[in-house]
Amino acid sequence: MKLTNTMMAIIAAAVLGFSVPAIANEGGAHLKHAEVDASDQAQIRRGLGVFTDVCMGCHSAKYIRYQSLMAYPEIGLTRAEVDELRGDRSLMSGMISDMAIEDAISSYGKAPPDLSLIVPGRRGGANYIYSLLTGFEHDPEGKVPDGNYNPIYPGGRIAMPDPLSWLEHDEADTAEIEKQAQDVAAFLTFIGDPHQNERRAIGCWVVGFLILLTLVLWRLKVEVWKDVKH
Amino acid sequence: MIEKMMKTQLFAWVDKRTGAEAIIKSQLTEYPAPKNLNYMWNFGSLALLMLVLQIVTGIFLVMYYKPSAEATFGGFTVAFDSVERIMRDVNFGWLIRYMHAVGASMFFVVVYLHMGRGFYYGSFKAPRELLWIIGVVILLIMQGAAFFGYLLPWGQMSFWGATVITNLFGAIPVLGEYVSQVLVGGFAVGDPTLNRFFSLHYLFPLLLAAIVGGHVHALHVVHSNNPEGIDLHKPEEMIPFHPYYTIKDAFGVAFFLTIYAYIVFFNPQMGGYFIEVDNYVPANNLSTPAHIAPVWYLTPWYTILRSFESKLIGVLAMGGSLAILFLLPFLCRSAVRSARFRPVYKIMVIMFFIDVIVLGYCGHSAPTPTLKIVGQLSTAYYFLFFVALPFLPKFEKTKPVPEGI
Repeated sequence: MKLTNTMMAIIAAAVLGFSVPAIANEGGAHLKHAEVDASDQAQIRRGLGVFTDVCMGCHSAKYIRYQSLMAYPEIGLTRAEVDELRGDRSLMSGMISDMAIEDAISSYGKAPPDLSLIVPGRRGGANYIYSLLTGFEHDPEGKVPDGNYNPIYPGGRIAMPDPLSWLEHDEADTAEIEKQAQDVAAFLTFIGDPHQNERRAIGCWVVGFLILLTLVLWRLKVEVWKDVKH
Repeated sequence: MIEKMMKTQLFAWVDKRTGAEAIIKSQLTEYPAPKNLNYMWNFGSLALLMLVLQIVTGIFLVMYYKPSAEATFGGFTVAFDSVERIMRDVNFGWLIRYMHAVGASMFFVVVYLHMGRGFYYGSFKAPRELLWIIGVVILLIMQGAAFFGYLLPWGQMSFWGATVITNLFGAIPVLGEYVSQVLVGGFAVGDPTLNRFFSLHYLFPLLLAAIVGGHVHALHVVHSNNPEGIDLHKPEEMIPFHPYYTIKDAFGVAFFLTIYAYIVFFNPQMGGYFIEVDNYVPANNLSTPAHIAPVWYLTPWYTILRSFESKLIGVLAMGGSLAILFLLPFLCRSAVRSARFRPVYKIMVIMFFIDVIVLGYCGHSAPTPTLKIVGQLSTAYYFLFFVALPFLPKFEKTKPVPEGI
């Protein structure tokens, strides 16, 4: 049994070590912590607003259909609101930007990545998105033009030109821009895994049931084994 | 309950035609198991559970998955889209897919602990050599199945992991180039690769199911080892498998499922260890990720591969590090099985476990000069462990082994 305890300690240490999430991104830059709640309808809706007004100028979220903006309770728009957003696009169409990818490449030199999976697909997730949007700076070496220098982005040079106009914003607007960046990070966190709240809610019941089952089977095991002498 | 069932007329009818009563008695209610097995002996039944869960969830995933690398809007592919459709639109598709993805990692957790138990208590020694060898075959097929399966979502890490590993075969002299082209179905990982990997990913678990049957059969011929590692003869040292170990395994299953469910429902990516961050980015053959690493369960062998400057030697070392597991029963020559009575082996084997974890850590991390040296030293110890085993009985003073339990 002594050995089993040692083994369990090693396993526990290994599991704990594995489960610590990566905080820094590839560039190693320190990320700011984003106040993001993927179950907060108000924040997600504000984020959706930023997404459609700003991000969708170039980016798409093809896995999010206009219809799902009504279907997901975390967003829960009305049909009228969705109709206004989608214009003449089909209700079953994904949220596709009006800018053609070829035009984006010729303007910015790069295809804008689809944002459906941008949070799970980047180290640091929502913190990375928030830090990136509020991370534009002047290049200290003066090589990268303003609006393309962002130390949060791996390599420091980003094709996306400062969407929230963070660079040289008025001091008075700081809080507002930071809020916009966090809101859109919350929206992107939600659409990265739109069943996450349902998953956690069901998970409580499943894990709770399994804990009870484990306890019952443990007592049953002790009962069955009580006549075995060691 | 079983006794009651066996007295029914229906059972008598079945028994007359199948010999079911004799099977149930010899394999369950009268199958003798040592009474002193500790909880390290639970991982066999857990591995079987995981195999079944993987096959069942896999069958449901295939109903919606489409193995095609044809490009779709926005730099995605049909395969990637179909996985996202499972995650978003299929009822409880997210649950089945997370169960399968987390299940792959948990399957390896369980199997590595199962093997570690065998290492520590000398379960591979006579008369259980063949049982161990069948187990190593299972490990290799599992690793193959996991590797093939990882390509299917067609994410960045799927694509580049498959590219790196299939390129390795090219290092083998003469035949290498040909083997690698047959495996890939062309000159670079692409749509043909995805289709043949999908086919093999469906085939390998069926092989596993058959070979696991052989593994259990071999076990039931030679019977379980025990923590003392001694042969048991007296009837009072044994207890019937049912009900004692069926209930103990059931308890183990419930305990394990609690941890598994916790990960599936609350932390399915496991901080990028179970589902890598880069695999949420669609495969792009023009953009290599900053750091290519296989999933954690293959990283110890990846470190061994990277520890050598020459690609050919690296490939041989990696193959050798797995192949040497087949030889373990013949390299370890001590008459005493359990590490409890082998002080030197005990230290060596615990160091070996730590060594494999260090190898895994090195393989998962971005390469640095320090980690490279750590990886090389760990690789050296990995092989030294096996090479030293035959010489151990010459100087190791084993402790007296108990007569019985």
